[in-house]
Amino acid sequence: MAKTYDCLFKLLLIGDSGVGKTSILFRFSEDAFNISFISTIGIDFKIRTIDLDGKKVKLQIWDTAGQERFRTITTAYYRGSMGIMLVYDVTNEKSFENIKNWIRNIEENASADVEKMILGNKCDLDSQRQVSKERGEQLAIEYQIKFVETSAKDSLNVEYAFYTLARDIKAKMEKKQKEASNPSGGRSGVHKPTLNDARKPVTWLSRCSVL
Amino acid sequence: MMDEDFPTDFQVIVVGTGMVESIVAAACSRIGKNVLHMDSSDHYGGLWASYNFEGLQKFIKEVNSDPDRQKQVYNLSEKWFIEKESAQGETTDENKGEPRKVWSQADFAAEYRKFNIDTTPKLLFSRGPLVELLISSNIARYAEFRCVTRVLTWLNDQLMPVPCSRADVFATEAVGIVEKRMLMKMLTSIVGYSEEEMNNEFKDWNNKTLKEYLTHKGLTPNLIHYILYAIAGGNNSLPCLEGVKECKKFLMSLGRYGNTPFLWPMYGSGELPQCFCRLCAVFGGVYCLNRPIDKVETKTVDEGKTVVTIDSKSKKLNCDHLVIGVHECPEELMSSEPAESCDISKAVFVTNGTIMASEKEPLTLLRFPPLADDDNAVTVLEVGPATGSCPKGLFVVYFITKKTKDAESDLKPYAERIFDMSGGDQTAATDKPKCLWSLFYNVKDTSSPVSSVVDNVHVCSGPDAGLDFDRAVEQAEQIFKKICPGEEFLPRAPNPEEIVFEDDVTHGPEFQREQDEEAEPKE
Ligand SMILES: Nc1nc2c(ncn2[C@@H]2O[C@H](COP(=O)(O)OP(=O)(O)O)[C@@H](O)[C@H]2O)c(=O)[nH]1
Ligand SMILES: [Mg+2]
Repeated sequence: MAKTYDCLFKLLLIGDSGVGKTSILFRFSEDAFNISFISTIGIDFKIRTIDLDGKKVKLQIWDTAGQERFRTITTAYYRGSMGIMLVYDVTNEKSFENIKNWIRNIEENASADVEKMILGNKCDLDSQRQVSKERGEQLAIEYQIKFVETSAKDSLNVEYAFYTLARDIKAKMEKKQKEASNPSGGRSGVHKPTLNDARKPVTWLSRCSVL
Repeated sequence: MMDEDFPTDFQVIVVGTGMVESIVAAACSRIGKNVLHMDSSDHYGGLWASYNFEGLQKFIKEVNSDPDRQKQVYNLSEKWFIEKESAQGETTDENKGEPRKVWSQADFAAEYRKFNIDTTPKLLFSRGPLVELLISSNIARYAEFRCVTRVLTWLNDQLMPVPCSRADVFATEAVGIVEKRMLMKMLTSIVGYSEEEMNNEFKDWNNKTLKEYLTHKGLTPNLIHYILYAIAGGNNSLPCLEGVKECKKFLMSLGRYGNTPFLWPMYGSGELPQCFCRLCAVFGGVYCLNRPIDKVETKTVDEGKTVVTIDSKSKKLNCDHLVIGVHECPEELMSSEPAESCDISKAVFVTNGTIMASEKEPLTLLRFPPLADDDNAVTVLEVGPATGSCPKGLFVVYFITKKTKDAESDLKPYAERIFDMSGGDQTAATDKPKCLWSLFYNVKDTSSPVSSVVDNVHVCSGPDAGLDFDRAVEQAEQIFKKICPGEEFLPRAPNPEEIVFEDDVTHGPEFQREQDEEAEPKE
């Protein structure tokens, strides 16, 4: 089967429970905002292929599976991630303050050059707002990370956010490839066991008789 | 804040995030049980965890200062072979013209995140139960592996590659043509061994050792060495049939992913329990670390049903079934002390090069035969930067054996064969890699099954000294079958794209399985 994309980016969503991570993911991948299912089933990851300057970029976006609730994200969650969306809820001061803790968590566990972006979600709920846009911008400047306010409900800036993060990853990757002489990097030889391998014959039985 | 919305009633509560506990948690959650999974420490894995260098230092400190928290670990000794701060920068290795780094303790501290050091390093047989389970459950998507590139042994006072595949047997210069034929014949006969069919080649060897059998067959000492020590991983007293089974397991796993029968998990064995935890969470399992338990009570309610209540952080948590790691389990709940067994001696080394040069970065399993008569065989795993275990330029090497005296006396003689443990100039040309840092420790063997005094409390064993995870997988399945009789053990989880959401919000997600998925070739 031909590869239907040019590159694959693994992205993560991080932030306090209830800020709208799963909703953002669902909005981006399914273009829907569906309140009832979200609480009942854990979302693993979602895939959407986007077009960036003529290249097909497959985004594999991972949700926390609820393990953020009591701050128990596994270290394995961060492995191989290339971009991270840090999400807080503009109607929840605490979730904004916790962004700093999540950034520390990322620094501890993700690769050092992972791209990051801060999202202030639920900006449709202006009357309940506890965190001004300016404070979000200020925090982003402090960490030198891009920032945008989003609404998964009204589909505001969700597309923009993912395209921006993906574009930044692509730019970083191309820059690195130019600098290094071997563009493929050191990831060759990594295996994900699949069923297909299982169907190969057992070598000893099938070939031993020759000698 | 955390405690207000902490739910208190579950069908299954799992305490401890070791391998067995995590598999059981995933299996229960997967079929719809309401699961709480918690751990008293601040990280996943218990005695199966891997640590970065800072985390490892914390672990060492804890063992030394608070032995009650790490009761299973003793005789721990850490040693540096390098300076605290490096005086000079990089110097040049004349042979290659490449700069060879002079490592200092400060460099280790600066790069602490690049280390993933395992407390229970283990391999997966390519066709073993864990690989099959990862594939059939679809949990494989959470993990990545590298193939072990070579199997080595210690023969005639030097490191020797073990010819294990048919191609290896052909290519090796270490054995002559007659020996090659003999080896092929023996391995083929072992592959043909079947337990059910006892009127076979091995039927009269029930009470004898593998060594006796191989000697009887007229194999040369070199071939006996390969088969007994390197392929079966045994010693002189290994019973014949047990050894044949070990060899067969090895041979049957060849040819699936690489040149050897083994896979090594990227970032270390400690990732694997976490993969099962993730599946548990995806299916609704609730996770909580840093949650010690104070008390476990059981109460019989109507119809003879027993409810288990756990006191944790002055909160009462109730469940129908408690699954608990042996190290967390209150003694009065266990029906017997874990069977007295031989403890484990372990060592970890960080070195500045591989034990045997190779074209590409190697990933090595080395099996030492016992060097002294009453020693046990020693298993060595050498992993490099490509596995996410350490910074570039370094290797992490694990030693495991059954305890005879203490970890250091048991393992140091072996380490000295393959490392330069004299400290000193790291740039000096030597035939052995320099040992930069070492850690020896003993671990209690808590791997034998323990039953509990109550039907709905299930005790999970700790890590064993074996090479693979097979016993953990087997035990997890048994526990699951007790909790959920008749239910399927970890049925395949759908891929995200197979879950189709209807527009109608009242419907749950529909499950659709791609029909042609198996026909899809691997890219
Ligand atoms: N008004 C509004 N509600 C939102 C928005 N995003 C999420 N929510 C609601 O916030 C709650 C938590 O969302 P969820 O996606 O489960 O958050 P998560 O825990 O971060 O995954 C749900 O009730 C969502 O419907 C948004 O943009 N606007
Ligand atoms: Mg969510």
